[in-house]
Amino acid sequence: MMRTIEVLIVIIIITGAFIAASFFAVLPWPRQVSPVNLRRLAFTTLQMLDSNYELSRAAFETDNYTIWGGLQVALSASLPPNVIYNLTVYEVTGETTQLYTFIASISNAESLGATSDASTYMVASSNVTFNVIPEKIGEHDGGGTLYILNCSDAKGWWITGYTSHSLAQDLYNLLSPYFHETVMVQSTSQFEQILNNNTLQGETVQNAVVINTCGETVPIPAGDYATQGSANNYAKYCYILGQRVRQYNWTWASIVGYPFYYVSNAALFAGQQNTYGIYGMLCVGQAGINAFLQGLDGQQYSYNSGGITSSSQTPVNLLPNILYYCNYYGIYPSPSQTSTRALRTTILNGYNLTLGLDMFSRFDSNYIPGAVYRHKFSGATDVTGSLLALGLTRSPDIRLTALGILSYYSPRLYHSEYTANGTSRLVVLQLGLVGGV
Amino acid sequence: MVSSTVDHMVAITVFLAATLLFIGLFNQTIQTAVIYQRHRATATKASDLLDNMLLSPGIPVNWGQTDVSPTGFGLQDPEFTQYKMSPYSLMRLRSSVGEPVYYNATGQWYSNVTMGDRNFMLVPYNLALDYSTATRLMGINNTYGFQLTLTPIVTVSIQETSASPLTLKVTATGVGFPLSYATISYCFLKVGVQGGSPNYEISFNTITADDTGSANINIGSVAAGDVYALIVYARQGGLVGVGYHERVDASKRYVIPFIDSFEDGLVFLAHSYDVHYDKPPESAVFYNATFVLLTEDFTLREMPITQEKTQIVYGHGSDKTYENVTIPTHNPGILVVTYTSNNQDGVVLMPWGLSSLAFPVVFGGDPSQQEWVATDMRQVTVGGIAYQAKIAVWSLEGYQVVG
Repeated sequence: MMRTIEVLIVIIIITGAFIAASFFAVLPWPRQVSPVNLRRLAFTTLQMLDSNYELSRAAFETDNYTIWGGLQVALSASLPPNVIYNLTVYEVTGETTQLYTFIASISNAESLGATSDASTYMVASSNVTFNVIPEKIGEHDGGGTLYILNCSDAKGWWITGYTSHSLAQDLYNLLSPYFHETVMVQSTSQFEQILNNNTLQGETVQNAVVINTCGETVPIPAGDYATQGSANNYAKYCYILGQRVRQYNWTWASIVGYPFYYVSNAALFAGQQNTYGIYGMLCVGQAGINAFLQGLDGQQYSYNSGGITSSSQTPVNLLPNILYYCNYYGIYPSPSQTSTRALRTTILNGYNLTLGLDMFSRFDSNYIPGAVYRHKFSGATDVTGSLLALGLTRSPDIRLTALGILSYYSPRLYHSEYTANGTSRLVVLQLGLVGGV
Repeated sequence: MVSSTVDHMVAITVFLAATLLFIGLFNQTIQTAVIYQRHRATATKASDLLDNMLLSPGIPVNWGQTDVSPTGFGLQDPEFTQYKMSPYSLMRLRSSVGEPVYYNATGQWYSNVTMGDRNFMLVPYNLALDYSTATRLMGINNTYGFQLTLTPIVTVSIQETSASPLTLKVTATGVGFPLSYATISYCFLKVGVQGGSPNYEISFNTITADDTGSANINIGSVAAGDVYALIVYARQGGLVGVGYHERVDASKRYVIPFIDSFEDGLVFLAHSYDVHYDKPPESAVFYNATFVLLTEDFTLREMPITQEKTQIVYGHGSDKTYENVTIPTHNPGILVVTYTSNNQDGVVLMPWGLSSLAFPVVFGGDPSQQEWVATDMRQVTVGGIAYQAKIAVWSLEGYQVVG
C-alpha cells in the first residue's frame, strides 16, 4: 500500500510541476509569431513620401494647410486600414540643451494600440546643401572594394539577436560611401568566385576588404573548396582562406568572438550540426585561426588545435585614438566593451604580424582584445594580407567593425557645410496596429 | 507477501501510466514552443529576404536593362539607394499568375501580364528570370519558398460616364483612404484614320480632384464611335499612382507587342490572328506606333520612334507576320500603338518600365498549399510610382503543426 501512496505523491508533484510549467510557459500573441515589421514599414513610408521631396517640403511648411493636409491624405492612403499613425516633426536646434523642439504633429487615432513602433527620418531645408565627400579607400594604392559576406546559404553563430543580413545592411550603410565598390556577396557560390579571383560586378578583387557577417562562422562554398579543405574538420579550408588573404592582400574582418571557429553551408552540411544543434554548420574549433594564420604566413599546413585566446570575460575600453575616430566619422559605439576571445600576443612573432591598429586597452599584456594585424614577410616592405579580429563577446556591435576599418584606413572627409542651425528637421512616424489580438 | 506484491504491481502500473500521460502533456507544450520558434525564424527570414531583394540591385547592377542572365538577384534601381526599385528588373521577372503565351513565329514562350483588354507586357522566357533561378541565386533553394508581390498603392479607376460629349470620371484611392484633392495629369490620345493608315492626336492637361479623390474629364471633340486612350497620373503628398482607359472597336484584328530585347529596346508587333492560330489569310493591320515618355513632374512627352513599316500582313505569301519597332531610351514610358483594319480602329498600350502603367508583379511559388506562411511588406517606389512590396515565405524543411 505504501508504494501506491508514494506513487500518488509523485503524481501530485508532477501535476504541480506541469501546472507551474503551463502557468509560466505563456504562449505569445498570434501577432507576435509573424509580426508586421512596423519599424521598416514606417521608414519605407517616410522614404516613399520623400521620394520627390514632398515630405521635406511639408516638414518646413507646417503652416501651409494645403501641403500639410496633402501629407495627411497621402499617409492615410498609403497605409493599410488596420495601421494607425502619428507623425511628428521636430526642429533640430542644437543651440540649447534641448536638441529637438516640437513643431507639429498629425495623427489618425488617440492612441497607438497595444503594438507600435517608430522610425525617424531627417529632412533638410531646400535652401541649404549639406555636402560631405569622403575620400575613397584605395584611391591612391589600388583596390577600393568592400565585400560584405551576406551568404543566404550560410548560418551565423554568436551574432545572437541579429541576422547576417541585418548586419550586412548596416555595414553597407556605414561603409559603402568610403569604398569605390561595395559588393554584397549573396551566396557561397559567389564567395567561391571571388576566392578564385573572378569579379562579381567588375570590381577589383586585389586589396579588398572582406567582412564576414556570420560571426564566428565562416561561409564555405561547396565544390573544390569543400573538397580540398575538408581535412581536420575543415581546418584546412581556413588555411586556404589565409592563403587567399595573402595572395590578394585582403583585409579580413572577423566581427565577434573566436575567428574561424565554425564553417557553414546549409546545403553541404544539411544533416550535420555544430555540436549546439545548429544544422548546416560544423565546428572547426581552435584549429581554425591557427590554420588561417599559417596560410596567411605561407607556412606549411599542420594541424594545430592549441588555443591562442583568453576566454577571460573582462571589460576593455576604446583607446584615445579610436575615440578620436568616433568623433571624426560620427560612429559612436559604447567606449566600454567586454573582451572574451582576445588573441595572444605570441601570434605577432609566430606569423610575421604587426599591429596595424590597436583598438582596446589591455587587461593582460599577453592578450589583444581587438586589433588589425598586418602581415609582412621578414625584410619585406609590402603588406601581404591583414586581419581585423574583434575578440569581444556576443552580440556584436557592428559599428565597432566599421570603426576598426575606417580607423585603419583613415579616409579623409571633405566637408563643405559644417553647421547650419534650423536647416534640419526630424520627422518621426509612429505606427500602431488595431484589431485582433 | 501477496499484498506487498500487489502493492508493487499497482504502484508500477499507476506510475507508468502517469509517466506516459505527463510525457504526452509536456511534449505538447514543448512542441508548441518549438513550432513557435520555427515560425519566428521563418518570419525573420521573410523580412531579411525582402530586404535582400529590395536593397540590392543584383549582379550585374543593370541586369534589368540588358539581356544577360543575372548572377546575383536584386531589384533595386542601381542609380538610387534605399527602397527605389528598377522598373526594368521587375519587368524581367516571370509572372506566376499570367497564362504564358506561345508565339509560333518566334518559337518562344512569353511571360504574360495583361491588364484590361489591350494592355500587354509579354517578355520572352529566355529573358524572364524564373523562380527556381531566383531561389538559387539567393541561396535558399530547397530551404525556403517565397512569393513576391508588388502592387500599386494608388488605384486610379476611370469610368466613361457620357459617350458624346465624352466625359470620364477619374477616381484615385489609396490602400485605406481616397486621394483627396489629388493633382491629376492626363494624356488623351484620340485615334483617327487618314489615307487608310491610323493617326492620332495627343493632348495633355492637369486638373484637381475633389475631396473624394474624383474628377471629371470632359473632351468635347470625341464622338460616340471614336477610338481613344486616356493615361492618368494622380499625385498627392508624395504619393503617385497611374490609371488608363481605352475605347476600341476592333475586336478581332489588332496588334500584340512582344518584347524581344531590353538592351536594344526591340519590340515585335504581331498580328493578333497569328498569335491566336486562326487560319490565314486575314486582313492586314495598319499601325502607327509612338512612345510617350514619363517626365520628372509626371507629365507625358511624346517621343518619335523608328518604325520601318506600318503594316502587318498575315498569311499572304512569304511576308513576315510581325514587324518591329525600337524604343530608343531606357527612361520609363509607354509604347502606344494605334491600328486600323477593315475600318475598325483601336489602340494598344505597353509599359516600357513596369511603373509607367503601374502594372503589378507576382513572382515566385504558390503559398496556398503551404503549412505556414510568414509575410512582410515595405513601401517602395518604382520609377517614382508608389508600390507596396509584399513577400510570403514558407519553409521547405517539412515540419508539421501539432495542436
